[in-house]
Amino acid sequence: MSFIEVKNIKKTYHVSKRRSGIPGMIANLFVPKYEKREAVKDISFSIEKGEMVGFIGPNGAGKSTTIKMLSGILYPDSGEIICSGAVPYKQRKNYVGRIGVVFGQKSQLQWDLPVKDSFELLKAIYRIPDDTYRKNLDRFTEMLDMSGFIDQPVRQLSLGQRMRSDIAAALLHSPEIVFFDEPTIGVDVLGKEAIRSFIRELNAEDNVTMIFTTHDMQDIEKTCNRVIIIDEGSKVYDGTLMGVREKYGSSRKLEVEFMTDTVTEPIEGVETVDTDPRHKSFIFGKEIHINDIMAELLQKYSVRDINITESDIESIIRKIYSKEETV
Amino acid sequence: MKDTLHLMAVYTRTTAKAWFQYRIDAVLRSLAVFLREATGIIVIWLTLMKFDTLNGWDIYEMFFLFSLLFLTYGIMIIFFTGLRDFGRTVRDGSFDRFILRPRGLLFQIVFANSDWFAAIGHGGLGLVLFLISAGKVGIKWDMFSVVYYIFTILGGVLIQGAVFLLLAALNIYLLQTDSLKAMIYWNMRKFAGYPISIFNKVIQIIMIYVMPFAFVNYFPAQYLLRKSDMAAYPKVYMYLTPIIGILMYLAAYLFWRFSIRFYKSSGN
Repeated sequence: MSFIEVKNIKKTYHVSKRRSGIPGMIANLFVPKYEKREAVKDISFSIEKGEMVGFIGPNGAGKSTTIKMLSGILYPDSGEIICSGAVPYKQRKNYVGRIGVVFGQKSQLQWDLPVKDSFELLKAIYRIPDDTYRKNLDRFTEMLDMSGFIDQPVRQLSLGQRMRSDIAAALLHSPEIVFFDEPTIGVDVLGKEAIRSFIRELNAEDNVTMIFTTHDMQDIEKTCNRVIIIDEGSKVYDGTLMGVREKYGSSRKLEVEFMTDTVTEPIEGVETVDTDPRHKSFIFGKEIHINDIMAELLQKYSVRDINITESDIESIIRKIYSKEETV
Repeated sequence: MKDTLHLMAVYTRTTAKAWFQYRIDAVLRSLAVFLREATGIIVIWLTLMKFDTLNGWDIYEMFFLFSLLFLTYGIMIIFFTGLRDFGRTVRDGSFDRFILRPRGLLFQIVFANSDWFAAIGHGGLGLVLFLISAGKVGIKWDMFSVVYYIFTILGGVLIQGAVFLLLAALNIYLLQTDSLKAMIYWNMRKFAGYPISIFNKVIQIIMIYVMPFAFVNYFPAQYLLRKSDMAAYPKVYMYLTPIIGILMYLAAYLFWRFSIRFYKSSGN
């Protein structure tokens, strides 16, 4: 039995279908038409304590619905979820006291009040003992560098400061599981880095289980050791980030700069892209050994510089979303 | 229990603190609500100067009738602001946050927010009207009538609270019930300032049995004032306000409990 067990969950929404035009509007009023939309078709997975897992997928793929079922906001239509010994949507009060949720797009702080007042309110809501509260507050204030703005009203904070405060707010009660829904959205590069390193540190020190959804592949690369890709309501991949590359991103690119203008002969199985007379790129799959191409190029032409790149994770994911054949 | 009271205190402190962030605005907004409602009363007062009485009710008795309406609303809105605004809470996804916190949902909705502007505006007007009229309408304020009055206020708060709770529960299915609220609550409330005996049968039936504002102010006022137009209604109606309040609230609460299971998060 894993820490989090999800078995064959399904969720279908009934979306009212709108007809257009004024006659359509009147028709909608009296005979609403509903359409079934399967947000989550049949997803199963299990997560161990202390894992950091990233859920990725295009908009509308079913990530949010999955996370909402895991956090107890939604009931699945069928299937089973057990997180840390509880069924989230049945034992709500017991369960949500042990989890934390950060919505990057929706703050849980009191807009008009200093950050600290929101923390005090959360202390009362979650019944956090004085010493735990003190300890966590001091620790997060230091780790997230919040001392400069903790007494300022939330409305005066920058997006990065607000996000850091929101993350601290979700963690004050020492949750066992934390859900991050786009935790770095709109934050600048330095801010993103600060948030990621905080998340890593917390996971290492407290063995907190963390589940992410994000569109920023950097978030995943820098924090998660495992990704689950969801598309059209189904799980299409579950494994390490390296594995994604192995499975989908087989193409590599060799960028070559020649000493003089050069015309190359075509090489079998390799796509040649001419940038300009002195620069060329050679794109090839796993079946071709890199040594063979290098040998051929160095033998036949005078080469000044060579650079090898793996296709980056972002473009691989893009390919999976758009269902392109992988190159 | 102690812990619940503590949370209630922290919620109240937080709401009050946010309120005091904009002190002048807070005072002005309360005043605006007060004046908006008072204008309606002044118009009636000016009209009645010409007529003396309305179906046997003089202006002070009318003020007394109004004061019950405003006082109960003022108290009710302290506790039910969250239900009044529940539609927005559902639509913008804030309700998800309530679900994610280890406390009762209705408890959080009730205590997380209080519209003190409305409470002071309405309640203040109710208090002013009460102070103007209470000494002049011939009520003997003994132990018995004071206890009756307190139960009446509580009953009136519960009746209106039940309507807000019912509409909030309907929000879960409809996402938007503001026009429904305008129709069955606010429109009917406009009639409730007057003795219902002046209206035609249909409106009377609605005011007694559908949206029972008559039990919020008319029947209780009849008990204290004993006007002759009470002869048209069963005498027992003068004693039912607290019972109707409790029953309506209970029914609305059960419907709420049933509906909450159907909540669909609005997605993002």
